[in-house]
Amino acid sequence: MITPPEISWLAIAPDLALTLGAALVLLVDVQWKPVARVHAWVSGVTVAVAAGLTVAQWIQAAPADALAFSGLITMDGFAIFTRLVLIAATALGLAAGWRFVAGLGRRGAEAIALVLLATSGFSLMVASNNLVMMFMGLEVGSIALYVVAGLARERRESEEAAIKYFLLGSFASAIFIYGVALIYAGTGQFEIVGIRDLLAGFVVSSPAVIYIGVGLVVVGLAFKVSAAPFHAWAPDVYQGAPAGLVGYMATVAKVAGFAAIARILLTGVLDLSGSWLPVVAGISVVSMLLGSVLALVQGDVRRLLAYSGVSHAGFIMTGVVGGATDAVLFYLAIYAIQLIGAFAVVAVVAGPDAAGSSIDQYRGLGRRSPLLAGAFTVILLGMGGLPVTSGFVAKFGVFTGAWAEGYEWLVIVAVVATVVALAFYIRVIVVMYMDEAQEEGTLRIGPERWVLVLAVAATILWGIFPASLLDLAADALPI
Amino acid sequence: MIDLLWLVIALPLGGAAFLHFFGRYVREPLSGWLASAAIGTAFFIAAIAAVPFFQGEAEPSTIPIWEWMPALGANFELLWDPLAALMTLVVTGVGTLIHVFAIGYMHGDERFHRFFTNLNLFAASMLTLVLAGNYAMLFLGWELVGLCSYLLIGFWHTRPTAAAAAKKAFVVNRIGDLGFMIGLMVVFATFSTFSYSGIFERAGEELTGGLATAIGLLFLVGAAGKSAQIPLYVWLPDAMEGPTPVSALIHAATMVTAGVYVIARSAPIYEFTPFASTVVASVGALTAIWAASIALAQRDIKKVLAYSTISQLGFMFLAVGATAYVAGIFHLMTHAFFKALLFLGAGSVIHAMSDEQDMHRMGGLFRKMPVTAVTMAIGALALAGIPPLAGFWSKDEILAADFARGGWFYFLWIIGLITALLTAFYITRLWVLVFLGEPRWEEKAHPHESPRVMTLPLIALAALSFVGGLVNTPFRLTLEHFLEPSFEGVHIQHATDDWLTLAILAGLSILAAAAGAGAGYLAYRRPPERWRRFEDSFEPLWGTWEQAYGVDDLYGLTLVTPGRRLAEAAAFSFDAGVVDGAVNGVGRVVRGMGDWIRPLQTGFVRNYGVLFLAGAVVVVAWLVAGGS
Repeated sequence: MITPPEISWLAIAPDLALTLGAALVLLVDVQWKPVARVHAWVSGVTVAVAAGLTVAQWIQAAPADALAFSGLITMDGFAIFTRLVLIAATALGLAAGWRFVAGLGRRGAEAIALVLLATSGFSLMVASNNLVMMFMGLEVGSIALYVVAGLARERRESEEAAIKYFLLGSFASAIFIYGVALIYAGTGQFEIVGIRDLLAGFVVSSPAVIYIGVGLVVVGLAFKVSAAPFHAWAPDVYQGAPAGLVGYMATVAKVAGFAAIARILLTGVLDLSGSWLPVVAGISVVSMLLGSVLALVQGDVRRLLAYSGVSHAGFIMTGVVGGATDAVLFYLAIYAIQLIGAFAVVAVVAGPDAAGSSIDQYRGLGRRSPLLAGAFTVILLGMGGLPVTSGFVAKFGVFTGAWAEGYEWLVIVAVVATVVALAFYIRVIVVMYMDEAQEEGTLRIGPERWVLVLAVAATILWGIFPASLLDLAADALPI
Repeated sequence: MIDLLWLVIALPLGGAAFLHFFGRYVREPLSGWLASAAIGTAFFIAAIAAVPFFQGEAEPSTIPIWEWMPALGANFELLWDPLAALMTLVVTGVGTLIHVFAIGYMHGDERFHRFFTNLNLFAASMLTLVLAGNYAMLFLGWELVGLCSYLLIGFWHTRPTAAAAAKKAFVVNRIGDLGFMIGLMVVFATFSTFSYSGIFERAGEELTGGLATAIGLLFLVGAAGKSAQIPLYVWLPDAMEGPTPVSALIHAATMVTAGVYVIARSAPIYEFTPFASTVVASVGALTAIWAASIALAQRDIKKVLAYSTISQLGFMFLAVGATAYVAGIFHLMTHAFFKALLFLGAGSVIHAMSDEQDMHRMGGLFRKMPVTAVTMAIGALALAGIPPLAGFWSKDEILAADFARGGWFYFLWIIGLITALLTAFYITRLWVLVFLGEPRWEEKAHPHESPRVMTLPLIALAALSFVGGLVNTPFRLTLEHFLEPSFEGVHIQHATDDWLTLAILAGLSILAAAAGAGAGYLAYRRPPERWRRFEDSFEPLWGTWEQAYGVDDLYGLTLVTPGRRLAEAAAFSFDAGVVDGAVNGVGRVVRGMGDWIRPLQTGFVRNYGVLFLAGAVVVVAWLVAGGS
């Protein structure tokens, strides 16, 4: 007799809310063809409800019923924390991209629905205890993002970005699911907790299959987080996709990808860490060095941010090597808000639907828009990891973990990369304050201002008083 | 008063914030006065808070501000001990005078308030560095002063040389910072905390010889970057592109001494590694004589002072490396007085000569600007080490301490003595070339004495340079007793107690200084043809010195160019987008409906796919190979 899986509505409530919200936006649009403001309210309420439900999960969460739906979904602190980051990124991303969305006219509703769907997919992915479930979430999220990348379809760059992202992304997804299949072949398990228990209890007879499986899964996810050498899509996509929504796209993919990497490696196959640690460390080193060096020579701020994202992926990987999920989560939360903030600045400077953003546009920004330049300065210094910014605390956390794990050389390389990285962030700052403006006139700032205020506040306040977020991250343990 | 100590940092920081946002609404001199008032008030607070130390009755105390990363022992806390107090007084005292001077010097600059914003921000950063109660906060100050220095060197950013100098300072300092950061990590890995007290109390239990040496040498790399020692000194001469008050404050009196301060502060660690200490002293001695010889032949008045600063910092390293910490800090203090004076004097001259810096086109300025001439003479004699001026006492104490240490330090002592001779020579040369002899400037130059807002700081610094050395003489070791609580339990190298030896050593120092100064005076008092011939008679040495041994070219050839090539090569092979503009470039070539698929056929995506696949193969192969 087949027992039907027990239903735990709370475990998927935020995802359901996001999906229903997406449907609601579309329905409202079809029925009433309202002005953009109405969509803002609908999506805003959706995000707020999803956030509220996630907080309810946090309050309710107890280790005893961490698993739901026969082990498909978890409701552990790790999933809840990551989900909160994703939902926050959605709210900020929509605010940063609002002028683009509003400018799309009738297609604006599509954009909002796609963003909400992408979040619901990634949110399911970070809460999955089952590899197939994880793949489902990954695909729901990724496919929505491919379309978002091509939303500015009047521009060829946007279409090109979408196609490139789609082709390479499908490649990565295929590799990921193949890895899942091989892991299943080696262990007979899809469940991450099940794999952990199996590896802890038995000597596996043919480990090579599992190794290949783990390797392919890591490669697939490394693509999503744009770790080198799987990063090649990122600069082109970041450059071509609509400026307003790039920050959101980059952030959620990175957060969800790293949450999945951490969950699989640090929970599922932790017992095999002897063999995957050097590989992850290798990916980390290549990402940090390649990202930092290539960012140095970029003449386009969006490509620069893309390569800086590659190096950040490397930094977060050091946290995975250190096995410190709290350090990884803290880093992800901080980086998410800074990245969206940075792209909000790009959206203001380059225009919400533009492609590319040459560094020339930033010359003399300090005089044209002192507040915007000031906010960008804080965000860039935070990304660079200057002390008393949250970026410093984040870097410190992941480095300490790796050092304690015995990967001193990795930390030293990471410090070198940090040193190089600060150079290109400061280059942008210098251009903003020391060069003469090439364009005149004030820049129009819309709802981006709220994103910037929050990003600056998060960078400074969590840099000076990081304890609140650190404690939260420390409580957010995976099962 | 100690409860208000945070104001010492907060006041200049607040000044910087205020000027940043509202500076443009404040008229020109007022914004400068506001900035000066902020740091001047900080000086008074620090002075009052330091009174208990002068009375010799207070213990060092830690003042917590807030908890930053408590698990790491990295909180915002100020350590108020005699060493911190002395550094704070020097930074705020000399800083205030330089701020006031800058009001006159920067007169008419269109970014007047921006200059004072940065200057105040620098002061706040430097005070964070010296007041920090742990290495994490020290590192915060360390990074921030570097950043401010970078911004201020490039203040006149429209000059390409200024921008290049700023970049060079940044890059070289980052190399030093790297060593310092790794050193801090080793410290943290060993002690699991950053707090001074936590580290120094357990230094004896946790530190093995090798570990202490590693930390000591890594800190030296950081200190050599910040304090411009061999081989990382090359940024400081170029940093003279910044406005002269910046050179005086940052690149003479305060920031560049941070390296000396860090080594003195870490004395309990160096206690366990005589080897690292000896390396510190040797690097210092080598730098001292190296830079002094370059200073001999410079024509640019600020370049002479820049190399002189490098050389004097070498003296301080020589002191702290010989564990003569008090002598090192003492010299740091007197040097802050007389070098700030010399820089400001040079600024006054440059100001008067309408931005002329070449000493060959000066001369005979004594009558035109007597106050500057006399005050600079006092600074020059102090630097040369003529008693009873400040420089004599501190330099002599360093040399005597090295002599007392014996062994290898005899050799370093001889180097120090020769350097003292060279020092007296080049600074006399500078003063004579500028102020005596026939005028060599063009008629229309119209040099004039600087306004009072500039000469008063000169007079104040001259007074300090005159009497500043009397705080620590062999007759009365006031500073030594003052600093004692900061170096509790640390061996401090002293000069010998034997008065006869001391007198002989002092006599030798005075002889070297007098010989150098006398030779410089006699050689340059003559007409230009004569001293030109004198310089030529030293060829090819003189030319080598003038070219600073060609180190910049050497670095350019061996490090900079290959580095740039490497970056370009990496960029070309991994990101052709830099070269041809990737997405846009392709996009522009393609025209017409449906052509959007063309980029796929150009090979971009295929290339990316191949890269991806290659990466995947490596990852999987590595995993399998490593696992089975």
